[in-house]
Amino acid sequence: MPKRLAYSLPDEVLEHVFSFIQSDKDRNVVSAVCKSWYEIERWCRRKIFVGNCYAVSPKMVIRRFPQVRSIELKGKPHFADFNLVPDGWGGYVLPWITEMAGAYPWLDEIRLKRMVVTDESLELIAKSFKDFKVLVLASCEGFSTDGLAALAASCKNLRELDLRESEVDDSSVHWLSHFPETYTSMVSLNISCLGSGEVSFSALERLVSRCPNLRSLKLNRAVPLDKTANILRLAPQLVEFGTCTYSAELRSDVFSNLAGAFSNCKELRSLSGFWDVVPDYLPAIYSVCSRLTSLNLSYATIQSPDLIMLVSHCPSLQRLLVLDYIEDSGLEALASNCKDLQELRVFPSDPFDAEPNASLTEQGLVAVSLGCPKLQSVLYFCRRMSNAALVTIAQNRPNLTRFRLCIIEPNTADYLTGEPFDVGFGAIVEHCKDLIRLSLSGLLTDCVFEYIGKYAKKLEMLSVAFAGDSDLGLHHVLSGCESLRKLEIRDCPFGDKALLTNAAKLETMRSLWMSSCSVSFEACKLLSQKMPRLNVEVIDERGPPDSRPENCTVDKLYIYRSVAGPRFDMPPFVWTKDEDLALRLSP
Amino acid sequence: MCMELQLGLALPGSDTWSRPLLKLGLYEDINVNSKKRGFDHGYLEDEFSAASFKNYEKGLVGWPPVETWRRKKLRCQVHNHMTAAENGYCGGRASNSTYVKVKMEGVVIARKIDISIHQSFETLTTTLMTMFDIFDENRRSFKLTYQDKEGDWLIAEDVPWR
Repeated sequence: MPKRLAYSLPDEVLEHVFSFIQSDKDRNVVSAVCKSWYEIERWCRRKIFVGNCYAVSPKMVIRRFPQVRSIELKGKPHFADFNLVPDGWGGYVLPWITEMAGAYPWLDEIRLKRMVVTDESLELIAKSFKDFKVLVLASCEGFSTDGLAALAASCKNLRELDLRESEVDDSSVHWLSHFPETYTSMVSLNISCLGSGEVSFSALERLVSRCPNLRSLKLNRAVPLDKTANILRLAPQLVEFGTCTYSAELRSDVFSNLAGAFSNCKELRSLSGFWDVVPDYLPAIYSVCSRLTSLNLSYATIQSPDLIMLVSHCPSLQRLLVLDYIEDSGLEALASNCKDLQELRVFPSDPFDAEPNASLTEQGLVAVSLGCPKLQSVLYFCRRMSNAALVTIAQNRPNLTRFRLCIIEPNTADYLTGEPFDVGFGAIVEHCKDLIRLSLSGLLTDCVFEYIGKYAKKLEMLSVAFAGDSDLGLHHVLSGCESLRKLEIRDCPFGDKALLTNAAKLETMRSLWMSSCSVSFEACKLLSQKMPRLNVEVIDERGPPDSRPENCTVDKLYIYRSVAGPRFDMPPFVWTKDEDLALRLSP
Repeated sequence: MCMELQLGLALPGSDTWSRPLLKLGLYEDINVNSKKRGFDHGYLEDEFSAASFKNYEKGLVGWPPVETWRRKKLRCQVHNHMTAAENGYCGGRASNSTYVKVKMEGVVIARKIDISIHQSFETLTTTLMTMFDIFDENRRSFKLTYQDKEGDWLIAEDVPWR
């Protein structure tokens, strides 16, 4: 009886049921049930996430999903954030926009990360999508304020424009003024990455004053402090605010104006920015502190006492980004004041100095892990660590889902015992059963990888640097970590054997990055031949890898699964299989 | 003073672990720890020996893993040099304030100085030396640098006072 019922449900009913299913994973499962469900599902899928823009071609996406409204694309590998991917590697969005312009006239959301976006792409977006609403460009580059002007002028219903961490060229166009006077739709605007010349303050003020739904506003550093109060008074409904430059000599009139403006903002929950912050002005935000859930002080070069004062006013804090100026004492204060803390990121104020700039050690992290029961996500830069501390953290915080530790000096051992950190990280993966992201550092042998392979069953992303002794390390990870999607490795003695033995595993992952390891070009070619659905890219600016001796290792290797085959936009320093090489070298 | 872009090429077939010493970005925070070296080490003289902290010597690109954009944003702020940042922030618009932030290398806390009350580099330097407790004999070891609108660090005495 139930079987017949399933087949007799009309398509419209199924479609309606499917509309409640939002997650990609669930949608994929639905589409695999039977042919008719596949057909129905593909026509009603509205949101697409493509984690690697080269894993599939835009034509293939459009063919399967003809009525998409929202797309998210990611381009360059994560290590591009640290300058490890040479310029010109790829990640161009224009081919996608070109195809979608024709196929998806009702596309209203585009979210991009680490992609090369040109003014031409932005102009095409402005022209092609009549109801365009959301543009998020995270860590993108290649465009200027000209492109932004085109968007401002054409997109009447633009709700969200978020340029977080992107690099924007200043074409000296007052692009903000291109929003017509009739435009009132802005809900979220993040221009914190823009330089000084790229924002006209008066245009910004006019824009803010006519957008009553504005909830999130993140300004760039060029807007001076005395103007901040003006902006806040125009938008007291803000939930998220990124301050502009916070620097100036303390003037009591500016201070009281600012404090008054902040006190009007009853909905404010998140603050960021704080460039050039002068501690004297910090009390201006005290009136909102008790409601703050997110605070990004990672550009604020203020010292521990001021930081302690600030966090002691923020009992509701769930997310804190801060520099190591907070010191162990500040983290202890955080641990006692902020019991709702879920995410902590501590960045180094002076990453290139051998000597510590601030008194921040493993003690601070231990204090927070003991004091904050909801702590789930950690990113911590420090200069010393011990296995004992890691074990304490692991035992007390089994609910950790993201743990990224960066001991600044490579190969640093446990400062108490001189041992590697195998046991410490082993404890982390053993106790934190829901760990999905892990970054290792310090002195590490193959042992740590054995622990990871054995325990880290839910791990999806692993970052490794200056660790391990042999191929066995890599083998443990590839053979043991069932949920692994992204693996990025630098400066480790991992080579051909582990890679070739676990070739099949690579097709179950999004990507593998290996740089300054011990993989030979021969192995890369072999892997490429064995696994046609993997793109094996050797990134080497020294010249053709063939021209070096047999045992010479490749500089950088990026392997990713793809159903689109080899890409056509490879620069000269990316080397793939023999045939392509021959074509490249032929006159 | 900024470190220039340095480029070194590894020979083909050389040791697996050596790689092109391509240092991207400007590591202006050379950050000689003055507590260790004493004031008679002029930081200009030590420009290259200052690059003796390990990461720099190894020529490690992308380590520690701090995002490029984050480094840039931090760089535009308080520095560990004896410098004057134009109008107190990197590349900012000119404001009415004549107060300028000055930071000395090795000293964490910056000071502010009203540049309008000085008529020459001489008086400015003298005042700064007093502020940071630098004795006469060590004066020559320090150089006054400033950051222009493009974020470039230049020697102050190279341009006429205005």
